Amino acid sequence: MNGKALAKKARTIGTVVLVVYAVTVATNLGEFWPFSIYPMFSQGGNNWSRSLVREFPEDDSTSWEVVGLADVPGAPFSVKKMGVDPIDLANFVSKTTIWDSVRVAALRNMFFGSETPLYQIVIYRVRGELTEDHEVLVEATPYVLLSPKGDQVNPEVQQ
Amino acid sequence: MRQAPNWNLMDNLFEFDRAESSGQIIFRKIFESFIVLGTMYLAWTWGQYTLRISDIVLPLGLARYVDISFMHGNTLPLWNAGLISVLVLLGWARLGRWPYAIAFVLLIIQYAARFTLGEIPHSSNLVGMGLLGFACGQLFYPDETSRSRFGLGFTYFFLGLAYTSAAISKLVASGITWPDGRHLWMWINEKAVDEIARSGFVELNFVQELALSSLLIATLFLAFGLIAELFSWLVWFRRTRMWVMLAILGLHVGIWLTMDILFILSVYELIILAFPWDEWIDKMLERRRRA
Repeated sequence: MNGKALAKKARTIGTVVLVVYAVTVATNLGEFWPFSIYPMFSQGGNNWSRSLVREFPEDDSTSWEVVGLADVPGAPFSVKKMGVDPIDLANFVSKTTIWDSVRVAALRNMFFGSETPLYQIVIYRVRGELTEDHEVLVEATPYVLLSPKGDQVNPEVQQ
Repeated sequence: MRQAPNWNLMDNLFEFDRAESSGQIIFRKIFESFIVLGTMYLAWTWGQYTLRISDIVLPLGLARYVDISFMHGNTLPLWNAGLISVLVLLGWARLGRWPYAIAFVLLIIQYAARFTLGEIPHSSNLVGMGLLGFACGQLFYPDETSRSRFGLGFTYFFLGLAYTSAAISKLVASGITWPDGRHLWMWINEKAVDEIARSGFVELNFVQELALSSLLIATLFLAFGLIAELFSWLVWFRRTRMWVMLAILGLHVGIWLTMDILFILSVYELIILAFPWDEWIDKMLERRRRA
């Protein structure tokens, strides 16, 4: 096979792959590994939603108040030490619309597997937005409490 | 007389007519080895993490068509990782034409099982496309040289396409004002929350402080990133490849410093692909021969 024939074959394979690429990303909102486009950070200035976790002493009463990022109560808690990816956690929290017992159990499983929780922790949803004064406003809402004694969901979130 | 530069796309990507040299053979095998190791790393990393997933929050990609829950609640992800590893090693050793292709399909399943929690990362695209390139090379080309040349050229093409399409996504979604430095302020805060979640604390670095203190500097950071992505298709041509790859590497360093996101596999792959290692290896071998 000479160079021209090899190049012609490459063009054919490349075209077929490009068609598969176009079809899969078009029907999957741009996401079909490994054909995904790179839409990361394409929407500048949009509000965002992430998560963080704080640890509380057992039997501490739970407050479901929305607070600023600097005022989040409790002690720092690293999700990495539990083997959890913070981006997974953020998506788990922001994309869950119904907090039923199965979903809460899946969250507990993410942190503690099938074991009883070792700590009392609260998972916060953190939202960021650009204000009219061009400042970044960040607020945290407690969503779910996981503790050795049981789980609770913020009543407002559960509705 | 100086030879006019060749801007033929197929020649630049695949170099099927170029005389084979030891440097090219060594370089392509190094790159293929990286793809094999990268694939194994992804298969095992995703496999281990999938063990802790028990509910699908959002099915993505393949999982939209196939109920991927059969991969959850058991050790199948680890068996799949083992199988993928064996297959890519068979492909690397040229024991059969199908191992890479089968490994590619199994890796898509592994990926769909891992990323069912709402968002997918893009850090593994380049390795995935490299694996697909070598799989197609093995399946459709008759000899070792053309197979591996196809795998490499295919990777260059889709690498350039991926980054350029990223720039186009930004311009479509946000328009020409995408590099507005306030957008970077939002992302720095967003990633700071991720860091608090990850480690419990966050301390902004010098570059982040600089960007947050000056709208102009933040805007320049984003403008550089957008331009680097927009011209990434120039990696298709040998003459411009190294400079554009260095710009993309600069983009990744910038993303790392400002947003603490490091696509480590992509960075390694860019370092391997950016430089004319084949020519350097040939020169080194020639020097050793003469000595």
